[in-house]
Amino acid sequence: MKKMVGSLFLTVMIILATILTGCSGKDVSASSKGKVVVDFWTFWGSETRRPVIDKIVNDFNNSQDKIIVKHTFIPWGDIWTKNLAAVAAGNPADVVINDINSVSQRAENNQVEDLSAYIKANTFKEQFYTNLWDTVLYKGKPYAVPFTTDTRLLFYNKDAFKDAGLDPNKPPTTWKELEKVAQKLDKKQGEKYTRIGYYPLFGGFGAPSWLKNADDGMGFVEDGKLKIDTPKKVKALKWLVDWQNRYGDKTIQTYEAEFSNGQTNPFIAGKVALYTDVGTFYTQIRDSGTKMNFGVTTMPAFDEKSKPWSDGGGFVAEVPKGAKHPKEAMQFIKYLTGEKAQKYWAEKNYDNVANKKAAETVMQGLTGDAKVVYQEAVKSLQYTTLSPVPIHYPDYQNRINPFIDRAMKGKMSPDEALEKAEKDVEKMKQ
Amino acid sequence: MEKGTVSQVDTGLTQMALNRERTKVPVRFVSQLNWKQNVTGYVFVLPWIIGFLCLTAGPLLFSLYASFTDYNITSKMNFIGLENYKRMFTMDDMFWTSLWNTIYYVVFSVPLTTIGAIFVAVLLNQKVKGMRIFRTIFYLPAILSGVAVYFLWMQLLSPSTGLVNQFLHIFGIEGPSWLFDPNWTKPALILMKLWGVGGGMLLYLGRMQGIAPSLYEAADLDGANSLEKFFHITLPMITPIIFFDVVTSTIGSFQIFQEAYVMTQNGEGGPSNSLLFYNLHMWNNAFKSFDMGYASAMAWFLFGIIMVLTFINLKAGRKWVYYEGGDGK
Repeated sequence: MKKMVGSLFLTVMIILATILTGCSGKDVSASSKGKVVVDFWTFWGSETRRPVIDKIVNDFNNSQDKIIVKHTFIPWGDIWTKNLAAVAAGNPADVVINDINSVSQRAENNQVEDLSAYIKANTFKEQFYTNLWDTVLYKGKPYAVPFTTDTRLLFYNKDAFKDAGLDPNKPPTTWKELEKVAQKLDKKQGEKYTRIGYYPLFGGFGAPSWLKNADDGMGFVEDGKLKIDTPKKVKALKWLVDWQNRYGDKTIQTYEAEFSNGQTNPFIAGKVALYTDVGTFYTQIRDSGTKMNFGVTTMPAFDEKSKPWSDGGGFVAEVPKGAKHPKEAMQFIKYLTGEKAQKYWAEKNYDNVANKKAAETVMQGLTGDAKVVYQEAVKSLQYTTLSPVPIHYPDYQNRINPFIDRAMKGKMSPDEALEKAEKDVEKMKQ
Repeated sequence: MEKGTVSQVDTGLTQMALNRERTKVPVRFVSQLNWKQNVTGYVFVLPWIIGFLCLTAGPLLFSLYASFTDYNITSKMNFIGLENYKRMFTMDDMFWTSLWNTIYYVVFSVPLTTIGAIFVAVLLNQKVKGMRIFRTIFYLPAILSGVAVYFLWMQLLSPSTGLVNQFLHIFGIEGPSWLFDPNWTKPALILMKLWGVGGGMLLYLGRMQGIAPSLYEAADLDGANSLEKFFHITLPMITPIIFFDVVTSTIGSFQIFQEAYVMTQNGEGGPSNSLLFYNLHMWNNAFKSFDMGYASAMAWFLFGIIMVLTFINLKAGRKWVYYEGGDGK
């Protein structure tokens, strides 16, 4: 009898303990002192970004007394899966910073709230660059608000230009000019390249970006239709294969390794004369201490009739589906993407922000190289297209890349590669 | 007279004989007694059982069901039968690439690490001075784990500045571009795996030191040289450990994910998808394209492959594993 009571007691205690530990994570998002607590998740935890976002949050909290925003840092990579799990479990955060190119994918999959009910004024969207606002629309309704963006620029080494007898104030503007300039800037020592003038696939532009640049800024999927096998894209792929053949596998792999091994960027070290990267690359040059004499310009255009199409991405603030306080969340988002917060963010982080007025005001406050780069970035934003994930072909990039790869390795002709790529993506239509 | 005296001594034995009827224990009472004694044991195991059912078995069965649907966590879960499996085998080229990459890795890394571990264990089994220090040094890499190790190796394998290529340069060999050359990415990973043979080595070493010296003495008397001693005494005696090592390494190598995810940009599979392993491809389908149903189908297919291989291993093991305490069959 004693043993029976003892075991029964033990059973009850164990079951109680298990239940209690499971319940302990109950969030206190209910009103504290009558204020609504808005949960805000970001992946900005670095020394540079964290204080900036914290100050913006504090300013908002102090500016009114109905809402308290609680900022939680969730590491990059974890935040996407955590957000997804929270939405599926029904207790997500109220505001999340997420990637701009997949907004419509999330909208289709019921992971974000439709914000049109909380945006009364038609003029709200005019604060932002049109290409950014278009990317957050799904079936004509906004499902997120753009926060930051970026664009790719062509950086070049002015001293190298002077050495090679080129005008350092006249960077190349078309593909043909770029090729000529790059070849003049190559430096060889026997069989090895001690300096490469330019290689299109180093830095922020990949093969898809070049193909888009050639094809009037049109991506692989336009309006739900596949535009992979187009004449201009085939020409672009041939052009890339020529570059690869000129330098050879070994050289390119060696330089690629140097770009990714975390030591000094080869452009800053003078081993590469022209380099593609986002506008914020300027901070790397500035912090390297080399006092490099560099110039920056928009990406080259396919030919005289084309525009300097560039690639962009960015981040948005969105309200996950099932958030407890969407109205208050939207109020915070309006502040976050308003001129004051955006100007502060742009100043402190040297980031391109989505708010047009903020971007222009910030530019006026900058001086020297910082101003030059920012100006070029803002100019490039006009020709920057984003790459939103197409709803019916969410896996399209992974299916196209192997074919581009084979063309670059010479295993397939560029025509054949893009033709087969288009057929393959069509097969995987969802 | 004696008879009467005997019957007056009441030892209770006759009582006992009569009482045997009453003290016969009913069967039901016995099993109740056993059950009462066992219930405490069950109660102690209960947390684990609950955990297993709720956190392992439950989700396993759910994912089995999900592999027959188009589940994407948040918006749909329609039963679509064998669609996912059909798509896996006929419409997804990356599936075959990832399967090939994984099989390549398993086929090379399992034998190489096993042989490497045995080799190092044999070296350390000698009676040389300072052997303990050597043992520690060889075992150290096995303790290190995680992302830091991968970053370390990314530096070591750097084509122009990495130590590996500089070391090869001393011998006049022009090292390949390791992690950037599609033909050398998997060998680079296998090399990295070999660096951690210390773990397996410890198991082999322990077993080797338990081999009775009398066996070696007998061999010496028969005039065997060290090579013969190794192949005829040491090797058969450590076959149980080899068996364990091969089975667990096979299962573990099929599940390779971390290296590929960390060492390629954005986990996309490296140059020409040469590092796109099965688990990485499954991960991309699950968490980038949110195609959970398809990813579940991939997961169960991998489960099937590993099950079959382990079964083959176990069956084949009976032929070549020698258990000292057994019948030697």
